[in-house]
Amino acid sequence: MEFSPDIFIEQFARTFSFWWVILPSIFLGLIVGAIPGFSAANTIIILLPLTLSMEPETGLIFMIALYASSRMGAGIPAILVNIPGTAGAAATPLDGYPMTKQGKAQQALSISFVSSVLGGFLTTIVALLAMPWLSQVAYYLHSVEMIVIMIFGISLIATIAAKDTLKGLIAGFFGLMIGYVGADVVYEAPRGTFGFLELYDGVPLIPALVGLFAVSEAFAVIEGESILTKSGRELMQKGGWGGTIDGLRETCKRWWHVVWTSMIGLVIGVVPGAGAAIASFVAYQQSRSFSKTPELYGTGHIEGLIAPESANNGVTSGTLIPLLVIGVPGGATAAIMAVVLQYHGITVGPDLFANSPELAYGPFTAMAVTYALMMLTVLPLARYMSNITVISTGYMAPIIIAFTLVGAFVPREYTFDMYLALGFGVIGYIARKTGYHVAAILIGVILGPLLEQYFLRALRIAQGDIMVVFSSTIGNILWCMLALSIIVPYVLDVRRKKARERASAA
Amino acid sequence: MADNSEPKQKAKPIGGELLLPVAAIVFSIYYFTTITEVPFSAQVSAIFVGSILIFLCALLFLRTYLQVRRGEATLGIGSLIEPVSYIPIRLGLLALTLGFVFLVQWLGFTLTTFLFLSLAMMLLNRGRKKGFIIAVAAALSFGGWLLFIYAFDTRFPAGPFENLMATVL
Repeated sequence: MEFSPDIFIEQFARTFSFWWVILPSIFLGLIVGAIPGFSAANTIIILLPLTLSMEPETGLIFMIALYASSRMGAGIPAILVNIPGTAGAAATPLDGYPMTKQGKAQQALSISFVSSVLGGFLTTIVALLAMPWLSQVAYYLHSVEMIVIMIFGISLIATIAAKDTLKGLIAGFFGLMIGYVGADVVYEAPRGTFGFLELYDGVPLIPALVGLFAVSEAFAVIEGESILTKSGRELMQKGGWGGTIDGLRETCKRWWHVVWTSMIGLVIGVVPGAGAAIASFVAYQQSRSFSKTPELYGTGHIEGLIAPESANNGVTSGTLIPLLVIGVPGGATAAIMAVVLQYHGITVGPDLFANSPELAYGPFTAMAVTYALMMLTVLPLARYMSNITVISTGYMAPIIIAFTLVGAFVPREYTFDMYLALGFGVIGYIARKTGYHVAAILIGVILGPLLEQYFLRALRIAQGDIMVVFSSTIGNILWCMLALSIIVPYVLDVRRKKARERASAA
Repeated sequence: MADNSEPKQKAKPIGGELLLPVAAIVFSIYYFTTITEVPFSAQVSAIFVGSILIFLCALLFLRTYLQVRRGEATLGIGSLIEPVSYIPIRLGLLALTLGFVFLVQWLGFTLTTFLFLSLAMMLLNRGRKKGFIIAVAAALSFGGWLLFIYAFDTRFPAGPFENLMATVL
């Protein structure tokens, strides 16, 4: 699996010649990513007959472009109407939506696009160069280490809870309890299902996402003519390209932030099953922890938008590494890609690099080219997409409800899931109106079952010894990092307050 | 030093804030009743998280009690239902949404979406611009059918319209 610059250059030139596949895939990916329930994986499955009829290389490029652009697409409704297209974009509205309400939707979209493209492009290049080493990450991260990574994500609840810690923690732990519904992974014993067979596999994520964010938001926004504040409306009326250019400039100014948060995404993406949701929550939490202005997070802070968007695009290349190097798919989309390749008689794994380098390196060059083309094609759309926010809520709310509820139906085709989304909508509405954060509930629902799964596995391996969580060197290093990431911001905050007090006394 | 001449702040209605913790406690207790028969390792996470949740809720109840006793808050649910003038609209939209979910399995995506969008938009716009609303609802529901069902072959709930179009096309 030696890396050769010639193959690399040749691959890039070759991939560019597939622009006619990549461009339509980008726009298709943006659409399916933006609608809850329509993930890239679902779309690739729907279009499987088309993909299988293509040449393997063309099919692979089509899937990669769709995958990468859907990740970016999921951030668009998260920013514009507070509804993440997928769970991977669930941390995006924390700062993206407040920017929209302030009339900075164009700037927010531009920041999201640029950080997605830069983060995605950079991690693709790093993945390409460091593939042999990065593929080893999955070998070192076992259940114990994953428990710590999950707790990194869950500690975001405390971050969100900064305004009212008690209510934030209640929301987060309520989410965790909801996440525990379903049969346990070891004994398959059903728990908390209210007798519904549809809940035996756990609470499905899309109905939870649709209800907590979309339905509750639709019921909340009807209390005003527009989602924009008065000053936001005035700002939106100015129009022009200013917001796009501002977003581009502000993101480039924070290039280092893009770099390190996207690397979090890459590393978490390499771990099979971890996913974009965890990566974006961890990146957001870390970004806030080490920020000089943590109090601005949640109010429309640029870095609070860059972190999750860079991280969830960093995941895209990360999930491909275990698939190509060791033959283990890192996520649902990667698993479908493996199926398509196998259909064509191509076996993924180390031999692929020797036998078909164009297919082994191809996904990464296709991803890099997709990100480059997205910068040119999608960024100019920020100005026009942002106009959605001026639509009256009297029209927008019913559209949100109808299309997202049907989106909740799509993944499993159960009418039950639409009722479930409505139930989560009621919970979300009560939460919004009484000062509980819906994102904290969702973090619990996403991470709860994963945390339990890793915890049970670790306990089973250690024959019930709880101290297993401190049994690995890497795990202990991660525990220390977790403790530091919680303590250091607190110490810095105390220091800042003391400095301010000294300054005001002087 | 506090200025005693300042008018006393109006007590904040925080009764609505107790709804979610009450729901959380009820759910946790129900959950515990469903895990009494399962092996300990399948209980341990939920017992740990549920106990913390109940403890946190108890803290919130205590905080609320103290706030009410000091006269800083009341157990009113104003924060949940305000603005009161929107209650009929909110309830109307909820009824339409329930109707949408109920009917979509028989009428299918296109017809139900058209009906829901028309009625909900008329409700929210207080009966104004009926012609425009019907045109928008028709365009969106037909556009949705065209994009998701016809072009992408997505398995949306099917009804008379989808079946008819499948036969015709």
